[in-house]
Amino acid sequence: MTSEITVSGKPFIHHHSAHCESGVISALLRDKGLEISEAMGFGIGSGIFFGYFPFIKWVGLPISTFRSRPGTLITKVAKRLGGDIFTKKYRNLQKGMDDLRHALSEGHLVGLTTNIYWLSYFPNRFRFQFNGHNIVVLREIENGFRVSDPVLEHLVDCLTEDLERARFARGPLEPRGFMYYVKSVPSNPDLRAACIAGMKDSCNMMLRIPFPFVGIRGMRYLAKKTISSPDKLGFKEACRRLANIVRMQEEVGTGGAGFRFMYAAFLQEAADLFASAELSQLSKEMTAIGDIWREFAVVSARIVKQRAQSEETFEKAGGLMLICAGREEQMFRDLDKIARTLKA
Amino acid sequence: MKVNEVPQDITYYEGEKRACYALNDEGRYVVVSSTGWSTEEVVNGLAVEELAAKLEETRKAVLSGAKSPLCYHMERRQMNPEILAKTAGIAVFRLKRHFRPEIFARLNPSMLSSYAQALATTLDELKTVPE
Repeated sequence: MTSEITVSGKPFIHHHSAHCESGVISALLRDKGLEISEAMGFGIGSGIFFGYFPFIKWVGLPISTFRSRPGTLITKVAKRLGGDIFTKKYRNLQKGMDDLRHALSEGHLVGLTTNIYWLSYFPNRFRFQFNGHNIVVLREIENGFRVSDPVLEHLVDCLTEDLERARFARGPLEPRGFMYYVKSVPSNPDLRAACIAGMKDSCNMMLRIPFPFVGIRGMRYLAKKTISSPDKLGFKEACRRLANIVRMQEEVGTGGAGFRFMYAAFLQEAADLFASAELSQLSKEMTAIGDIWREFAVVSARIVKQRAQSEETFEKAGGLMLICAGREEQMFRDLDKIARTLKA
Repeated sequence: MKVNEVPQDITYYEGEKRACYALNDEGRYVVVSSTGWSTEEVVNGLAVEELAAKLEETRKAVLSGAKSPLCYHMERRQMNPEILAKTAGIAVFRLKRHFRPEIFARLNPSMLSSYAQALATTLDELKTVPE
């Protein structure tokens, strides 16, 4: 944690977060006087998800994701807490930068969606062409901006040139200079109602989307594909695919086990809020599921590292994923039932 | 995952740390900084090696005259033709033609400078590859 003074003279405390979107929205809300943890923001905004999209390729690999679509979490949190949030996209780079300076001068903390490749303050191996990274800008400094990047432990400086490129990068999921700040938030929002809405939404996304590539269905589909992949694609290509799943699960700032631990932390906080023993039990279950996802990562890494000599097999890796799918399905069904009985 | 199970394997974070959620002794979730996980290193290593190998192959192809330096610089920025074409503001099929060295050599300065701008390089860099 590092502290800093914002433009409006308020102290700003940087919290190290696991996920960029939930980290940014909780920082923006804290600045407006609403104390909210990252995990709480993640749960209210229904950040948890699973999706596997074999028809969308990124560097020749199908996309798998453990999070909801980039950009949705922020607006969902603001809406469910009754906050008033300003959002805008730009066609013109200069206009986007002018508006950023203007919003800063009005004393707002400003959230931006950026391309992570062009943010040169990151270590090289974190950088890849991904257009959904979110950061908070505190104030303008000479040649750049003071930035609170939630996934880093400390505050950083970002060059103006880097920020311009990052905000207006082209390609899939273009940020188009997307900028947002919280105009106001009720000082005493209905946190309980927001939690319930977040839980129900997550259950719907995991259980009820009638589409074979998302939610629990997607998990089962991917598990079966993984088991048959060495025969169908050859060992090398199967390893690439498997490694990519593990990267999406562990590497891209997830707090461990593809956001499952963060969701368990949310359920734990919600259990306190509602004084519900059932939710507390579900939090423990989610932790256990997260541990299986971690085991899946370990098994996969062994396959990738030792190649054909490994004792681990694709059947085992896929089997672990099937276990996760089964237990998550039960977990979300239980959560769905409990969320309906909770009183706002 | 418990606090003492949070991996602290030294990996490629270059001194940075990542936040992990883990349970403390009282069974409460807390955020713990991690210096990296060896499992993660394996899968990231595979992806990085692959990119590096591809880049090296392209570099050799440029030196042997099979491809233009534009192709090398695009891959160095981890872009694909679709992203670069959008960034530089031209059609993908024209961009792909410019991967041919004889066509790249004839490009006018304004085209070259829009590539240099899109790839954040200088004009001189754009016309060469490292030996």
